[in-house]
Amino acid sequence: MVEYWNKIIWPMLEGAQMTVLLFFIAIIVSIPLGFLLTLAVKSSFKPLSWLAHGYITIMRGTPLLLQLLLICFGLPMLPIVGEYLVFDRFVAACIGFVLNYAAYFAEIFRGGLLAIDKGQYEAAQVLGLSKWQTTTRVILPQMFRVALPAVANESITLIKDTALLYAVAVPELLHFAQTAVNREFTIVPYFIAGVIYLIMTLILTIIFKQLERRYKFE
Amino acid sequence: MTLIEVANLKKSFGTNEVLKKISFSMNKNEVVAMIGPSGSGKSTLLRSLINLEQIDGGSISIGNEYLVKDGVYVKPDGIKKVTGRMGMVFQHFNLFPHLTVKQNLEMAPKLLNLQSAQEIENHAKDLLDKVGLTEKAESYPSSLSGGQKQRVAIARALMLNPDILLFDEPTSALDPELTGEVLKVMKDLAEESMTMIVVTHEMGFAREVANRVVFMDGGEIVESNSPEEFFSNPQHDRTKLFLKKNLK
Repeated sequence: MVEYWNKIIWPMLEGAQMTVLLFFIAIIVSIPLGFLLTLAVKSSFKPLSWLAHGYITIMRGTPLLLQLLLICFGLPMLPIVGEYLVFDRFVAACIGFVLNYAAYFAEIFRGGLLAIDKGQYEAAQVLGLSKWQTTTRVILPQMFRVALPAVANESITLIKDTALLYAVAVPELLHFAQTAVNREFTIVPYFIAGVIYLIMTLILTIIFKQLERRYKFE
Repeated sequence: MTLIEVANLKKSFGTNEVLKKISFSMNKNEVVAMIGPSGSGKSTLLRSLINLEQIDGGSISIGNEYLVKDGVYVKPDGIKKVTGRMGMVFQHFNLFPHLTVKQNLEMAPKLLNLQSAQEIENHAKDLLDKVGLTEKAESYPSSLSGGQKQRVAIARALMLNPDILLFDEPTSALDPELTGEVLKVMKDLAEESMTMIVVTHEMGFAREVANRVVFMDGGEIVESNSPEEFFSNPQHDRTKLFLKKNLK
């Protein structure tokens, strides 16, 4: 039993750390970035809006795996600039996840903004609030409330998508599970990996449910 | 004393001319009821006064300060100063759903740094008491009835001590049995000499509370008279037709 723990479960939990680390980096950076993208899309300066639209279309319209491969292996092969674009695999993966998820979050937030009644802006205006005050005090809190279920959904997908690190050879949870399966000739590590993913997504689900309850405004 | 002066106001939405050279003025402490069929331009006129609609031509001044002069708006801080003298109550209340009743009242004065926190809090308390909703201070708007929401909205508008209150169909979104409580609050305000313009379908309110009734149709002011004259002795055919349809 102790041997089992040392040889299989412990490395997998270490791998899970990588998963969790990537998750936090991706979430913490891509949510604000996604919000900036939303603002860019809604900007009255058309070139900026088009640029943001194009970015979202490309990032949402192509597989994340393709984007990861391109960043990890494709960029260094570019002529001239390629040698400056060699990143640590994990860093490269973080960049890929952040760029991809920002596009999704941008669309989620845009949906949240659409759900806010025009009367809210009018009420803020007649009460003399500045644009900045209206955005930060009236619009954003409501937007995040509306977006919360979709953000929760996207976060759970993110946890599972971290398994894509396997394809760019960053040692994470799935990598150690696969190694153990090959070495011990048993499929038990697959199930263990499944349980660990499940625990992580369950924790997330509980956290988001709490947040939703807290921001119910009733 | 003239408080609001509107001259030759023109406004179109695309090719649809909603306000055709409207001129209108009202005095301090007056209560004007604006009535007319839907699409007559009365809400647009009201919204133009507080800069929720951009007008295409004409002038608007409040007190002796212009909001727009001959179709040209004054500078942004001038606009803010003029519109800041008015409060507005909307048909759909437009309370902030993520804030409690008390926070709805206190947010704007706090952000605008108008008074000390203590003064703002006391003011909010007084106004909630005035509209009869003291016990709802910590509730969120979603738990209030329509009539309660509208009373909160009136209190919120009063927090900034406006010289003029604009009401855009304040009871139109309410169940009939809830209009009374809102009209009561408005009547109290009228008795305290608040200057008010009320766009409404409530003929009873127009007759009992207003000092003057303005009838609009097709983007024009057709008739403007005291309630007694207006209801008992309408001058124009369009007014007569409207009253015939709406007074049963």
